[in-house]
Amino acid sequence: MSDTVLSFENVSKTYGDFRAVDDVSFSIPAGSVYGFLGPNGAGKTTSIRMILEIIKPTSGKISIFGQPSALAVRDRIGYLPEEKGLYKKMRAWSIIAYFATLKGLDRKAAKKRAYELLERYGLKDFADARTEALSKGMGQKVQVLASIAHDPEFVILDEPFSGLDPVNQEVMEDVIRDIRDRGRTVLFSTHVMSHAERICDRIVLIAGGKKVLDDTVEGARRMIPRRVRLQSDSDLSFLTELGAVESLVPADVPGQFDALLGTDGEPLAVVEACLARGIHLSRFDYSPPDLHDVFVELVGDKAKEASYR
Amino acid sequence: MRAVFLIAMREFAENAKTKGFWIGLFLFPVMIYGSIIAQKMMNESTPTRHFVLVDQSGGYADVVRATLEERYSKKVLGALLEYRMENAKEPMPEMNAESLESAPQGSMMGGMEKALDSLKLDLGDSMDPASIDQVIAMMAPDLREDRPEFVMPRPDFREVPLPESIDRNGELVSIAEGLRDYLRGDQTLMVDGAPVELFAAILIPENIDLAAKQPVGMAAMLEGDKPGIQYWGTNLADTDLKERVSRAIQEELHRKQYVERNLNSAEIAAVLDMELPVGSFNPNKEVGKEVVSDADKIREYAPIGFVYLLWIGIFTISQMLLNNTIEEKSNRIIEVLLSSVTPGELMMGKLLGIAGVGITMIGVWMGSLVAILKLNSGPESKLAGLLWDVLQNSGMIPVFIMYFILGYLLYSALFLSIGSVCNTLKEAQNLMGPVMLIMMVPMVTMMFIPKDPNGTLARVLSWIPLYTPFTMMNRAAAHPPMIDQVGTLILLLVSVVVAMWLAGRIFRIGILRTGQPPKFRELLSWLKTS
Repeated sequence: MSDTVLSFENVSKTYGDFRAVDDVSFSIPAGSVYGFLGPNGAGKTTSIRMILEIIKPTSGKISIFGQPSALAVRDRIGYLPEEKGLYKKMRAWSIIAYFATLKGLDRKAAKKRAYELLERYGLKDFADARTEALSKGMGQKVQVLASIAHDPEFVILDEPFSGLDPVNQEVMEDVIRDIRDRGRTVLFSTHVMSHAERICDRIVLIAGGKKVLDDTVEGARRMIPRRVRLQSDSDLSFLTELGAVESLVPADVPGQFDALLGTDGEPLAVVEACLARGIHLSRFDYSPPDLHDVFVELVGDKAKEASYR
Repeated sequence: MRAVFLIAMREFAENAKTKGFWIGLFLFPVMIYGSIIAQKMMNESTPTRHFVLVDQSGGYADVVRATLEERYSKKVLGALLEYRMENAKEPMPEMNAESLESAPQGSMMGGMEKALDSLKLDLGDSMDPASIDQVIAMMAPDLREDRPEFVMPRPDFREVPLPESIDRNGELVSIAEGLRDYLRGDQTLMVDGAPVELFAAILIPENIDLAAKQPVGMAAMLEGDKPGIQYWGTNLADTDLKERVSRAIQEELHRKQYVERNLNSAEIAAVLDMELPVGSFNPNKEVGKEVVSDADKIREYAPIGFVYLLWIGIFTISQMLLNNTIEEKSNRIIEVLLSSVTPGELMMGKLLGIAGVGITMIGVWMGSLVAILKLNSGPESKLAGLLWDVLQNSGMIPVFIMYFILGYLLYSALFLSIGSVCNTLKEAQNLMGPVMLIMMVPMVTMMFIPKDPNGTLARVLSWIPLYTPFTMMNRAAAHPPMIDQVGTLILLLVSVVVAMWLAGRIFRIGILRTGQPPKFRELLSWLKTS
């Protein structure tokens, strides 16, 4: 097995004049959990559909398990689409078994596997229920199970967390960790950064069809300066003279300022400098940047733009 | 291929589990069987009709009575014959399929009548139970030991005496007035100690023969002494009695007039009995066997039934295909499927799976039709036997199956395309409107085509691939020209291939599409792209 499960080389997809995916390149090593992040309409689902060869790229090269086409290796891939749906009249176990047989399992093994999975993820009592009788969260779980029932080496989950309550979101995170612990590769898309932060090894961030970031979570955090939020009646402009502070900008709340720290800048240096000058700080907030901040910083404008379009 | 099979299996299993499928499966045989039973029950359940007959002229009552008696004796004879056939040790030779086939049109009961005549000779004119018993005793050697007792059939009509309160010789108006309550069911007559309802009253005035020379309007009849025969009754639907009485009286009137005018009534009867036969011959049949039989008649009309089955069958299952495609599309299951199988495999699997459902349904229908016809093809239901015979020999069943499959493929291509471009059933219904109109044409023309099976309408429709299966099925009995048979079949096959190819393209692109159904121009561009 090659070490790279998936690679995108200068992949573009255009619909008429609209560039849904624009010259995107990245690669996913085996055994990692990859977060595929981006605002709504960024091109995540289009990219995923191209991976599965449901649609074809306009230009560029996609290779999956070293193959140019997903058709040859589709039994090694599991896929959960963005919009979730099940055959209403089918029973939970039979729908899981059906998708597993389509991926090459034989009937008996598929049925056994379906019951195992349902039991492991707390749906044992609903194994024989028609899917129309399940709640939305349960239905979604069933669908996730259906996508991994054939124990694929590479699992692609499009927005697996959407529509789930916090408890089930955690179950979903567990599912992803379980898959990783089996040595499988996971690519999942989301626009909720906290999930990505907790379970991803690496993230790819795209916006407006373009790749914006491709890094580890730690690396992504370092992409944006740490900031300290300050409030004081006195003039704080002297802070910029400190080595630690790169710039001071008014915050989005009147009267408050953000001191953006340099790479080596320590938040405590700001406090010390203020104390040394006898300046009274009515507010001092420091929290290390999270992916949410990275997201807003990098694609906030584009996301807004997209929402107005 | 494995994926195609799996998809087909799922489609088949899921659709075969629906209630609609099972209802459809059983409704058809139940309806067929029901209509046969209903026909039998109707024959058996009509009660004996009681009537009063007042003949003040004195010249007609006897002929009316004689006519009705003769009718009853025929019924008894029929019942006897049926009894004999049902309980015969060996089937009677007169009733096998071959004799039906060769029996000239209009004498479906040809063999029956022969047997009836021989019975009549045995029985003579008397219908009393004693002589019936005698006849049965004579038949006994040919009958099974465990046969049930013979039950005399009920008479259709029975004359009852006037209620005592009414003067038989009074004015017709007052007799009618006196009977009014009885006729309306407000009062019942006592016959043999049991109350019966009066069905009708036939009143014949004294000077009735005058009316033959000076006909009067019906309204005038009520005005007292204007002559005319009056038939009183509340049931307007059952005119059997009225017609029989009327015919008997007319014949008697004619006979009397021959006598009055010094015409030789025997001579006239002989003249009236003369008839120049007009036989129907069909040049399509073998030389020497051109006589048109009842079987031919049925063969001519049987295709209508097949067209109907074809229509119902094709559209029931095409509709299933449409619904399933839309379900997968609106649920976005399609994406999961397409990550496992190609659109081509998906389409093929769906087509085959639903075809399996359709073939099962048609198979059950045909099977039950054959079974019902076979079980009911006794003497009491000649039609069933004849129909069975025609089905067996005419080769219509293979033709039907062929057109069913081809028609299904053609329409399924259309429905799959519609299903793949629509997101909801509602959107699909908008597109289905015109399709429905197109579909209605065979239903409308179905009844006309057998009348002119090789006429312009039939030929034109035959060459339109969407209508070829229905129209050619409709014409199956009429030996359409070879060019029509082969040409339309080739055109249909080509259309199926082209439609499938087009549907495949539309399906592949449409199936992933969300939002508005595409414009026609957009569809065309899909067909161009690979």
